[in-house]
Amino acid sequence: MNAPHDGPRLDRRRLLGLAGLTGLAATLPACGRGFGGGGGDDGKIELNMVWWGDAQRAELTAKALDLFQKANPGIKVSTEYQDSSPYKDKLAARFAAGNPPDLMAMRFDSLREYADRGTLLDLSQHAGLDQSALTDSARALGQVGARSFGVPSGLNTIGYIVDKTLTDKYGVSIPDGDTWGWDDLAAFAKQVTKASGGKVYGTNFEPWTVANLLVFARQRGEDFFTPDGRLGATEATVTAWYQLVADLRKAGGIPPAGFIDQNNGASPAQSYLAKKAIASQIIPTNGLLGFNQACGGNLQLLRIPGETRGPRRGQSVDTPALWSIAAGSKHPAETVKLLNFLINDTEAAKAAGVTRGVPANRTIAEAIGSGLEPDNRRSTEFLNKLQNEKLPASYPYPVGASKLTNILKTISTEAEFGRMSPTEAGNQFITEARKAIAP
Amino acid sequence: MTEVLPRVRRRKRQDWAGYVFLLPWFGGLIFMIVPFVASLYLAFTDYDLLTPPRWAGLANFREMLGDATLHQSLKVTFVYTLVSVPLSLAVALGVAMVLDRGVRGLAIYRSVYYLPSLLGGSVAIVMLWRYLFGYDGIVNDLLATIGITGPAWTTDPDYALSTLILLHVWTFGAPMVIFLAGLRQIPAMYYEAAQMDGASKWRQFRSITLPLLSPIIFFNLVQALIASFQTFTQSYVISNGSGGPAGSTLFYNLYLYQKGFAEFDMGYASSMAWLLLMIIAGFTAINFLAARYWVFYDN
Repeated sequence: MNAPHDGPRLDRRRLLGLAGLTGLAATLPACGRGFGGGGGDDGKIELNMVWWGDAQRAELTAKALDLFQKANPGIKVSTEYQDSSPYKDKLAARFAAGNPPDLMAMRFDSLREYADRGTLLDLSQHAGLDQSALTDSARALGQVGARSFGVPSGLNTIGYIVDKTLTDKYGVSIPDGDTWGWDDLAAFAKQVTKASGGKVYGTNFEPWTVANLLVFARQRGEDFFTPDGRLGATEATVTAWYQLVADLRKAGGIPPAGFIDQNNGASPAQSYLAKKAIASQIIPTNGLLGFNQACGGNLQLLRIPGETRGPRRGQSVDTPALWSIAAGSKHPAETVKLLNFLINDTEAAKAAGVTRGVPANRTIAEAIGSGLEPDNRRSTEFLNKLQNEKLPASYPYPVGASKLTNILKTISTEAEFGRMSPTEAGNQFITEARKAIAP
Repeated sequence: MTEVLPRVRRRKRQDWAGYVFLLPWFGGLIFMIVPFVASLYLAFTDYDLLTPPRWAGLANFREMLGDATLHQSLKVTFVYTLVSVPLSLAVALGVAMVLDRGVRGLAIYRSVYYLPSLLGGSVAIVMLWRYLFGYDGIVNDLLATIGITGPAWTTDPDYALSTLILLHVWTFGAPMVIFLAGLRQIPAMYYEAAQMDGASKWRQFRSITLPLLSPIIFFNLVQALIASFQTFTQSYVISNGSGGPAGSTLFYNLYLYQKGFAEFDMGYASSMAWLLLMIIAGFTAINFLAARYWVFYDN
């Protein structure tokens, strides 16, 4: 063993230095690294395209892009994809760094954050993009006033899925999915929980997801967001929403407080439905195939409860993601060409399938319909039926709307643990939401 | 006094070698100075990432005064720091003292205990942690076998922060290794002499171990405090970036991140970064001032 005085010693001066250096280094902001784009090395024009999703979606997207590159040998498309949450942050950082992608998947609730700040190309000015085969309501998803900043990469809506294997096992009958109301859902859920002896909870829908509350508000005759970008939902509606949840929890129809992790993730395999902890839930309809695979293949797809009970319909035709083009793209003409191909080429649509929902181009939607897997055909028919009905339109969310996600999450937790009454929750939400959306 | 002169000269000769070794750090510094200065400028602007920043004077700092969410994030961060730093240092010192008694297979124990501090901040471990502490996770299953109904560790706002503190304490390995090295430096003769004088173990700990180890404790304290104020990954992963449940794991840095990248308010986020820098600098300064009274340098 070393004698103590020969070894390295810490004295005050060195300590100061060390602590100072590590402290300084750690508080400095980290540098972000941009990623590539621009001209290719073989004289080709290189377009950068980014989106969120999983490996399966990547494979399908690559197939469609191969077709495009074969038809356009002068253009090379480089792609990047990741999970939706980091995608959102990275996209903002790329714009801030002055290195935006040419073509990007745009969240519906973020479109105006970008468009209103002049960072997206106005697609209505580009004759190369043909949106004539889209319905008015599909086109409206990407429109701000007379200008167009996004084209739906596909169409979807939300639906209620019920695991029929479980309900059969416990002898509970599934209500009629076109006409059921929220009270039917409550009765159904309570029955399942009771019949299973508490092993399976009847249902769980996310009260903290804006899209769910939005449908509920519309059923009550309110626009959650008004067309001119204000908050249209009333305190009474949000209170009723939390009352509905509180009653369901009290009756045992949904799991007790703390059971559901808000941040469990959206993947079907990790869902509480796949774990057989609950018997029904709300999903985006383009996820039906994945959920049915993860849950054993006996899922029923129902509409959202209450569609025929309120003053008007609540469901609408939405999009999982819009395609947008950066105003700063160096190759706008080529990017528009690529976008037009993705929207209007039947072969491209066949290759990509319905991973991003039903093609917005109705002719193509019909053309690819028969070639789909049964589950995808089912969700496509579900959506097509809705498209033929008179539904309220969806408008792009106003600037500031992306803040509502966390506000609604926090208030839902407070209500879940009884730290806020439904009335307090309704009041708190409206107060905070108004502040978030205020111009 | 006569000894001082040659000492200084010797140190000077060694200095240049140190600076050469520091060169890569100085190289890296350039890449830090630029964003550092930029963020200072942005702190006084209204900057939404997408359009050029506009000068706003002190508006961001004024807004902080009335920002209830910011106050919540400060509360979370302070509670976390004040509980987890002393706790993890105490555990680290305790384990180091046990290992210092000459346990067989010391190298293995040391590595095993050190491992979590390498992994603790990583996404995989936090995911695993979430799984262990889930509503029907392994921890609650174990508690159930002894008849205890465990709480919702990660989804109940009353428990979520404690779960993160537990995760932090579990990563006591890094300070432990430093403590262990420090303990090894204390000459055995002090203890022998104390034993001959009939000092109890506790007395030996208080009068020999603590004072001689105090520079090491101080070093670990400064490190842990700074790191604790910068906690981000754990809550980002556990709450998927939301700081939930109900803001109970909304660390300062997570809120800063939300402001900058999710809410398009990079000006405000920059001013938050500078407030954090001032808070950390303040605490570190207090630490160094207080150190005069309790840290013992044996030279």
